[in-house]
Amino acid sequence: MAETHIKNYSINFGPQHPAAHGVLRMILEMDGEIIERADSHIGLLHRGTEKLIEHKTYAQATPYFDRLDYVSPQNQEHVFVLAAEKLLGIEVPERGQYVRVLFAELGRLLNHLFSTTAYAMDIGAMTPMLWAMEERELLMEFCERVSGARLHMNYFRIGGVSRDLPEGLSDDIWAWTERFPQVVKDIETLLDENRIFKQRSVDIGVISAEDALDWGYSGPNLRAAGVPWDLRKAQPYDVYAKMDFDVPVGKHGDCYERYLVRMAEIRESLKIVRQCLNEMPSGPVQLDDRKASPPPRAEMKSSMEALIHHFKLFSEGVRIPAGETYTAVEAPKGEMAVYLVSDGTNKPYRCKIRTPGFAHLQSMDLLSRGHMLADAVANLGSLDVVFGEIDR
Amino acid sequence: MGVISEQGTPLPPGPEQNALLGRVTGELQDRGFVIAQLDNLVNWARTGSLWPMTFGLACCAVEMIHAYVSRYDLDRFGVVPRPSPRQSDVIIVAGTLTNKMAPAFRKVYDQMAEPRYVISMGSCANGGGYYHYSYSVVRGCDRVVPVDVYVPGCPPTAEALVYGVLQLQKKIKRTGTLWR
Amino acid sequence: MDLALQDLGDLIAAALPQEVQGVEVPSGELTVRVQRTAVVKVLTYLRDDPLCQFKQLMDVCGADYPEREYRFEVVYNLLSLTHNARIRVKVDTDETMPVPSVTNVFSSANWYEREVWDMYGVHFSDHPDLRRILSDYGFEGHALRKDFPLTGYVELRYDDEQKRVVYEPVKLSQELRNFDFLSPWEGLLPEKTAEAPPKGEGTA
Repeated sequence: MAETHIKNYSINFGPQHPAAHGVLRMILEMDGEIIERADSHIGLLHRGTEKLIEHKTYAQATPYFDRLDYVSPQNQEHVFVLAAEKLLGIEVPERGQYVRVLFAELGRLLNHLFSTTAYAMDIGAMTPMLWAMEERELLMEFCERVSGARLHMNYFRIGGVSRDLPEGLSDDIWAWTERFPQVVKDIETLLDENRIFKQRSVDIGVISAEDALDWGYSGPNLRAAGVPWDLRKAQPYDVYAKMDFDVPVGKHGDCYERYLVRMAEIRESLKIVRQCLNEMPSGPVQLDDRKASPPPRAEMKSSMEALIHHFKLFSEGVRIPAGETYTAVEAPKGEMAVYLVSDGTNKPYRCKIRTPGFAHLQSMDLLSRGHMLADAVANLGSLDVVFGEIDR
Repeated sequence: MGVISEQGTPLPPGPEQNALLGRVTGELQDRGFVIAQLDNLVNWARTGSLWPMTFGLACCAVEMIHAYVSRYDLDRFGVVPRPSPRQSDVIIVAGTLTNKMAPAFRKVYDQMAEPRYVISMGSCANGGGYYHYSYSVVRGCDRVVPVDVYVPGCPPTAEALVYGVLQLQKKIKRTGTLWR
Repeated sequence: MDLALQDLGDLIAAALPQEVQGVEVPSGELTVRVQRTAVVKVLTYLRDDPLCQFKQLMDVCGADYPEREYRFEVVYNLLSLTHNARIRVKVDTDETMPVPSVTNVFSSANWYEREVWDMYGVHFSDHPDLRRILSDYGFEGHALRKDFPLTGYVELRYDDEQKRVVYEPVKLSQELRNFDFLSPWEGLLPEKTAEAPPKGEGTA
């Protein structure tokens, strides 16, 4: 047979592709079925969040954070209120901190349930997704009961959370934590030793610890590469210092380990949820400082001053003293941070949102080079990207 | 879907519905064929298998996925998500449509075969919503494609989307034309 | 904690006396202001020095202060896993003076610098691939500059006659209501109407 010369060609992947986890467009330069170069075009969901935040008061800006990483909204709110509280120099009452940690961890569960099983679906396993989504429904019901919204809670406020847990919610979450490990076990039975799953993910998209640090990795992706680093342990915020949990670390940094680390984190999150429920003290969930957090509804009915405070807080909003801070939390996807510059008015002067997905997606070229076309999908799924936070 | 009486009103399950269905099967067994109006038959087929294009853009995509999977299970209504515009009848615009995405969205819409329907899901797709004043957002996806059903909410719950799909079925049935 | 950071800052200032212009620790976060041309040298030092070990560049972002002589600030946020510390490096620049790219020091800087270029129009010299990243293909202007209007200059609709998506000047049925709560006398700020769009307007 005569030797044929195959020319390199480029494929346009996206922006509408079911495995792109949103609106990614990649220009893949291919040599046959081998990827030579992956050029990601992002910004197809660029909504100008940072510019809008500069035009809104702090209270109006918090819901934008929900809409960044819409798979785990709570964690994004968390970073913004923490940054604002840091500039204000206030401390949230202990119960408020516990409630926040509780819901931040529920957010982590929401995220990992979605990301691991959506990844499994990308590479051919359908059932885990159906099981995990039912659990997500239950978690979203908890969110709905506490804040009124299933997804975008807008529950974390400057100075605490918007309201206390409704009666019976703690018991229901507890009952759920007793039932839930079985679901995780079931999902693992389907995936962990599955031959197809392993063939598609072991040794795919390997990244070394040095490379991971160089490319600004954080969160589960960094830990899967073998770097034991978790902001909840290293730079604890709220009551994470009191929480007893382990940080799962991988060795090899391939797609399979990124999956394993996430599954192990589900178990650790569950520990934190249970510890929060066990240890939650009674008391207020909102700071008792009328310059930062609104008065209770009942007080407004009788006190003129409370009414004025309420009006001022919901029209003018909080005035935050001039200063700047870079505050980070361990969001489910990695280090989520804001660089918040305040000029002493009621609106942020500059609010740069540092999102983990941006750094992770940047390394797609490094991860995919030399792999087959189908592995690009596996890499993308295992990095756990969400375009709301990447494009902002 | 459901069964519709000869007057054109929906018929709930019960003795009346059973009687109607019994007449149809009786006729089918008796003569070997039934007569129906072509447009009714076509609309029955259209509403029974509305295949949506998976067009998840932003937050609403999460709720859309929730509507597809275990709990709400849109499959019950014959709504099966398709990854290709050539196979789909309806496109659910789930999320913020940005300027950069709009040409791609229009292209996907143009590739769909007639009859095609559009469900605009969530306030961003309806009119820009929370991002209305942004420099990079299309203020409503109806600036780019004609929309049949608007589902309000930020994001609408999965139930709201199911309701929107049912409303679209109703609309198709009511319009009752072969070509749009 | 603050004391240790101050010490670390003094140490850096002593090691690089030419390059470092100022060290401060506002609200417990170490901030180092650096000469623009020396940013590569400083970041390499911060990465490799055993006392610093800032191995991760977490974020690069811009900020716009129109009233200053050098209106833009480029802010690098670094993280040291070994010492569990963060440092913020700041560089001043304006529309024309390029900042040396640090992509050779930290690979992650690539997209971050593209984003700063896209949003603020700050040039980075020696950057391998300085294209726009987030904004629309063919976008004009730099969105996060303070003089760029929130709603931008163009909006988009599908034109039935041309059978394609066209860009038009922004027409809002209702302006964003911008209440000025800071001055007690005036409720509404004078409306900021979008100025005439820059050249090259129309379809794209």
